[in-house]
Amino acid sequence: MLKKTVIVRPELCVGCMQCMIRCAQAHSQTKALASAIREEILAKPRIHIGVGPEKKPFPNKCRHCEPAPCQEACMPWAIRSDVAEGLKIVDPARCIGCGMCAMACPYYVIRFYRDKNAPERPSVAVKCDGCFERVAAGDVPACVSACKTGALTFEDVNLYLKDATNRLAHAAYGVRS
Amino acid sequence: MRHVVVGLHAAGRTACAYLRRADPAAEIVGVDPAPLPVYSRPLISYALAGEMSPADMTVAGDAYYDALGVEVAPEKAVSLSPARGLLTLASGREVAYDRLLLACGAGPRPAGVSGPLRDEVCFFRGRADLTRILDRVRPGGVAAVLGGGLVGFKLTMGLLARGMAVHLIVASPRPLSLNVDAYVGDWVAARLAAEPGVTLRTSTSVDEVHAGTSRPLRLVLNTGESLEVDLAAAGKGVVPNVGWLADSGLPTDAGVLADAYLRTADERIFAAGDMAQVPDLVHGDARINAVWPVAVEQGRVAALNMAGVKTPCPPTLAQNAIPVFGSRMISVGAVNPTFTQDCATLEAMCPRGGYLKLVFRDDRLIGAVGLDAPPRLGEMAFAIRRGLRRGDVPQSWLDNPKNAAPLAAPGGATAKNAWLG
Repeated sequence: MLKKTVIVRPELCVGCMQCMIRCAQAHSQTKALASAIREEILAKPRIHIGVGPEKKPFPNKCRHCEPAPCQEACMPWAIRSDVAEGLKIVDPARCIGCGMCAMACPYYVIRFYRDKNAPERPSVAVKCDGCFERVAAGDVPACVSACKTGALTFEDVNLYLKDATNRLAHAAYGVRS
Repeated sequence: MRHVVVGLHAAGRTACAYLRRADPAAEIVGVDPAPLPVYSRPLISYALAGEMSPADMTVAGDAYYDALGVEVAPEKAVSLSPARGLLTLASGREVAYDRLLLACGAGPRPAGVSGPLRDEVCFFRGRADLTRILDRVRPGGVAAVLGGGLVGFKLTMGLLARGMAVHLIVASPRPLSLNVDAYVGDWVAARLAAEPGVTLRTSTSVDEVHAGTSRPLRLVLNTGESLEVDLAAAGKGVVPNVGWLADSGLPTDAGVLADAYLRTADERIFAAGDMAQVPDLVHGDARINAVWPVAVEQGRVAALNMAGVKTPCPPTLAQNAIPVFGSRMISVGAVNPTFTQDCATLEAMCPRGGYLKLVFRDDRLIGAVGLDAPPRLGEMAFAIRRGLRRGDVPQSWLDNPKNAAPLAAPGGATAKNAWLG
């Protein structure tokens, strides 16, 4: 079970797409925006903003399911669970770009691009890796660091659920009174 | 507790991993005549096409089973005695079990040919078959592929990529007749017919294989014609490896019959993968869906049940997704025209040449076939499992299937299905 993860509150999202930009930047070779946009293989975002009814924005990213349909469908075992606890991470060197994972994913979060870690392949699966390197270094995921509205937060799942329970309790007693 | 797993491929390997996770102290024995290298069988089509080397099919090191704490018996299982709780191996060794998983898969269906060189027809099932075919590949030569299913199609494209001219010999009127509907089958046939180097022969079969004069093999077709080729390979489906269980008393049909918990008639014996005949979601009876994701899922569920974690397995669902001439083809559930004659269908053309067909029985979605259609395999499987109703498919979906995607999204198929439609 992933203990600390990115919590998405779509109702707080304003659709600024800063998370997408910072995500791509964090996955670039140079990690700086000005130079990242000039790299030969452009880094791509792992989070995307969908448009819902009345043009409401909806941030969408990998849920790192357990068990994960993408991982079960992956024939070359390119989606790994052993890189960082609770995260499903694509190994570009093993990915053959067959698309099975994207077809099995019910959340539309796997896309296919050239990747700097497997430049010889025309395209490989690209999805959220939980910014495991940033998190290991004590930072928060790039999308969270970019979000100014609280739509994306990096929280302990159990503490988040505790807070949610408290909010529910307040709502319930509010209804009674 | 001693768990014995017979067969160490998609289902068996997954089961070993989940057994260890669910029961760290358990003794696990894996039985397979060729357990190493640990490779992924479906990758042989990529290796044949030259998209990866045969060595790259290996997905884990030789220490994989040691690291899991699985004792491997590199032998074939030859008989089973449920009454005594004993599995007998080819060497005569008897292995006792507390829980047994039958996951020894399926073998290639015989090509159905006669003649003195009938054994020269290669199959395309595992690593050894790939090696045998690669030994016979002659760039600039001629190959014959028997069978117009998914394996036959992959064989054709692989041999074409190796520089051979390919005769694709299909007994049905069109290729992929069991996997897709007439529209997609005809589309594939037209593309194959237009592909340089491919000769598509529908409603044709090979009767005999003889020694050739200009090339090693001469195939005699049912049309009376002869075909000289360097290589003949067959992909005519699979047959579950259940012959060795004949004396066990376990009920078998096409495969080993198992319930929703993948348990056979003996409560200590479970079945998973290409040999497990289990309840099918859309057909209502017990069937085998011999595809990778189903085998992996069944391996996981069987392991949990063996370890005492009672876990139902979702009813099996036929599903395939393959790239075809640069397009993505998906088929899920019941799409074979033979089984869906009494069903209502909805067809939609996508703006950029894509195609989507939905099959309904009693107002519930039971099958879908798509060609470059936005809904993906997982979405359509999800919609079928949630029982998408005909009446909940909005017109905007059919006007442009690009709108279809949100229908199958979690939550979308539960209330009115079309809340984002």
